[in-house]
Amino acid sequence: MLLIPPVHALSLPAWLRFGKDAKSKAASSMTQKTVAVVAFTGGTGESAQRGLLVELTAASEFRLTNENPDFSVSGSSVGGRVTARVVNREGKELMDRTYAAPGLDENLKALADDLILVVTGKPGLATSRIVFVSNKSGSKQIFMCDANGKDLQQVTHHPHGCVSPSLNADGSAIAFTSYRSGFPVVQVLDLGLGYERTVTDTPGSSFGASFSPDGNRLAVVMSFLGNPEIFVTDLNSNSAACISDTTGAPCSPSWHPDGKQIIFADDRGTGPRLYVADVPATNETEAKLIRWRSGYSFCADPEFSPEADRVAFTAKVGNDLAVVVKSWPSGSARVIQAGGAVHPSWSPNGRYLCYSQHGTLYVHHLNSGTRTAILNGQGQITEPRWMK
Amino acid sequence: MKRYGVFLIIAVSLALTACRLLPGHSTAQETDVVFALGTREGFSSPLQAALKPAGPALEFEGSSFVLTGVHRKMLDALIADWSREKPRYLLAGYTPPGLPDDYARSLSERRAQAVRQYLIENKIEAAYLQTVGFGFDSSLNSPSSSVVVIFRQ
Repeated sequence: MLLIPPVHALSLPAWLRFGKDAKSKAASSMTQKTVAVVAFTGGTGESAQRGLLVELTAASEFRLTNENPDFSVSGSSVGGRVTARVVNREGKELMDRTYAAPGLDENLKALADDLILVVTGKPGLATSRIVFVSNKSGSKQIFMCDANGKDLQQVTHHPHGCVSPSLNADGSAIAFTSYRSGFPVVQVLDLGLGYERTVTDTPGSSFGASFSPDGNRLAVVMSFLGNPEIFVTDLNSNSAACISDTTGAPCSPSWHPDGKQIIFADDRGTGPRLYVADVPATNETEAKLIRWRSGYSFCADPEFSPEADRVAFTAKVGNDLAVVVKSWPSGSARVIQAGGAVHPSWSPNGRYLCYSQHGTLYVHHLNSGTRTAILNGQGQITEPRWMK
Repeated sequence: MKRYGVFLIIAVSLALTACRLLPGHSTAQETDVVFALGTREGFSSPLQAALKPAGPALEFEGSSFVLTGVHRKMLDALIADWSREKPRYLLAGYTPPGLPDDYARSLSERRAQAVRQYLIENKIEAAYLQTVGFGFDSSLNSPSSSVVVIFRQ
């Protein structure tokens, strides 16, 4: 058996191969979609085809082959502008789109994400962004990078710092807490226009802003009532409704993907636990508030997965903080990373978590358990949030 | 029959007493009245100016936001002085690093609110008090950073 060349060993039928790995590989090759990237025409066509193959190979969302593919992508590229067309095996056109951003790389990332969405039904990560806080510039400010830690840019330059960032669903705006006036106020920055506006400037503290899935509302902690509470503010009408009803220390609200519930941590005197509140549709709607039993007595920073089947949060495990994932609404919990890992946030496709650990930003692949330090030596990195 | 009646009255009385002790069944007198914050206009932040603490910082243990006897004693001295000049106070909460960031902000604000509540209940006018919770966003030159510092304005 050992003398059989590898090519023959691999050609054995799946049922003859032993071991979990061989079995899972056989299963995944049966279900994994195949895509062919056909030659692109035009002056920058060759570069476009090569660049797209690099993006798709890095994403590993499907197998790239020219032999009887499930989907084919073809197109043209002139001066960095890219036009692409995707057809399925039957020749049915699924996508025909032109990408006209200034750079070829930018266009190819957008094309790769669109192609992944068409083929797998889940968003790609090439254009997704992670926002976080770093003290690299001397004070805490908001920074942003891509899923590989590249394209790093400082977003805020406020005196006394900015913290607690949240990106909206399409990555066009960031909500954050600014200390510009010396007191914490929540602001929203339009990344396209560079325009900032203050959402809350109430007495006490305001922090923990989180965009609703539709981007029209913010969940935020405010304390002007005389104790901190979770509020939902409508960004169009500037009205706010309290949903937490607590005399404790609530924090880190985060939305259910359907926009009808908010999960948050609240310390009512025995350490922070997780609670889920309905977001009332109208003033007359009855709203429920329940405690969600996570199995841990110290929990913070909860976030629903994009498919709402799991919740990631920070928990105290032993004497250390750890990132934990638990099935929603019930099921088992799993420690993803112990040893001081905090503030998990889901990738848009739900396959990865980003978190910070001792000032380093990590991206953790949940199926394989492997992780990559995508940003290190860029100051003390905290509070990462992945664009949804 | 009369004896059974007496036993019944005693049993009902005991049951009612026990109900009063159950959590969530506090009487109106036990319920805290929460005082909403007034305008922040005219208050300075320690981030903008060198403010003078009105007294030693109030240290908190672990993740507690409940005032202890030591806290009350320190605050009573402040309350006694307040009526002479009626200064305004900013109550600023801080926590040490190592907690989740957002929880640290909420906990420090909650502690500052607990101090404010006690001061109001002891005759300091609400308009003279403001709170802020910095968590560990702003460092504090102090031996302990799990504190509420009262800054005189």
